[in-house]
Amino acid sequence: MIDQLPEGKSIGWMQAPPQWIFSHTVRFVGVVRIVIQDGEGFILIRRGTPLAYYFKHGRIELKGHAALDYFNSHPTIEFNLCRYTPEEFVHATKILHIDEHGTEVIPEEPGPVNKVIPASPSAPVREPTPVVMQQTTKWPAPSTTVNLPSGPDEYEGIPSGVPQAPLDVVLDADDIKLIGQIKKLNGVVAISVFSEDRNIILMGDAEIEPLLKIARNMLATTRKITPHLDWGTFVHMTIQIPEGNVIIAPYKKYHLCLLTTRTINIGHIRRILRDLQQTGGPQ
Amino acid sequence: MLKEILNKFLIIKGVQAAVVIEENGEIIESIKSGIVIDANLGNIISTVMLDSKDTAVQFGNATLSMVFVEYSESFLILGPLAEEFFLVIIAKNSANIGQITYEMKKNQDAIVSFL
Repeated sequence: MIDQLPEGKSIGWMQAPPQWIFSHTVRFVGVVRIVIQDGEGFILIRRGTPLAYYFKHGRIELKGHAALDYFNSHPTIEFNLCRYTPEEFVHATKILHIDEHGTEVIPEEPGPVNKVIPASPSAPVREPTPVVMQQTTKWPAPSTTVNLPSGPDEYEGIPSGVPQAPLDVVLDADDIKLIGQIKKLNGVVAISVFSEDRNIILMGDAEIEPLLKIARNMLATTRKITPHLDWGTFVHMTIQIPEGNVIIAPYKKYHLCLLTTRTINIGHIRRILRDLQQTGGPQ
Repeated sequence: MLKEILNKFLIIKGVQAAVVIEENGEIIESIKSGIVIDANLGNIISTVMLDSKDTAVQFGNATLSMVFVEYSESFLILGPLAEEFFLVIIAKNSANIGQITYEMKKNQDAIVSFL
């Protein structure tokens, strides 16, 4: 079924909590292609409204809320936002046998057709809670790699500077926009916002788990030394190796981790990190 | 001597201390202005050195080029010299980091020659 859908125009891969998709696609029409280890699926979205959910892993197919529940059972998922033209959108709804509101449409001619997977668009988006799967198959852990070639504010799904619906998201639209702006800086390879227990968002070309491990080690170092220093509040720690820099810095109640090339202007990064802490964003 | 070389750092505006230190926290030589260099600071630097070396190893055994820890009032820059020896510069935030790192690289061989 996935292969039958129009390709759409890829906006970029990213990794974020499933709720992020729903809260940041109010102007997006297209398909969100989701990859969780060896399985893949999608969410068809029309201006913030999910119309269909689907996930397939081997012979197991999850449709509708079963697929949504599976997505939501992961703290973060890896996905590719693919924008549709109006024609592509109509084509996708025909393939899925739904109308533009996600309601099932009975095909005129019987035959081997794909089952409809309406997403009950009027239903509220569920909280991300673990789901007990019906299948006996053990599902793999969520994927950890991410590749977002450009900032998220480049696509229509990001409302410019407008906070979104009060879903249970940990970062708001302004945060995402800001992180995207930093990611766009010359020399920034990847940027992550992470908390004590998980990655919240990663933009760029990096594997999140090794990066998080390093970031947490650096954070642990600063926590060991900060109580013994009378130098004010912690701004950042940078480790430079021949391949580039790893930088950690506080960000609101979370932390930032940046991977940069060696050629980056450290002075510029310092100013941004200082601004983030003093005013909440670069000036 | 070593102190003369370290003094080149102290004349940079905002620099408060230049320290040659071993991984275990033992201070080989230091020069300072308006800052106390004691065992506490030695332990802090040692912690940064050892932890950062461990972190660099996670990047496919990468060698550590430099470590930079900044607070709202002061920062420290730590650069490896030879084997377990490091050069640490402590400065106020108003100091020119580019100038400091340039001097660190420029004087590295001269400092190593005294170790």
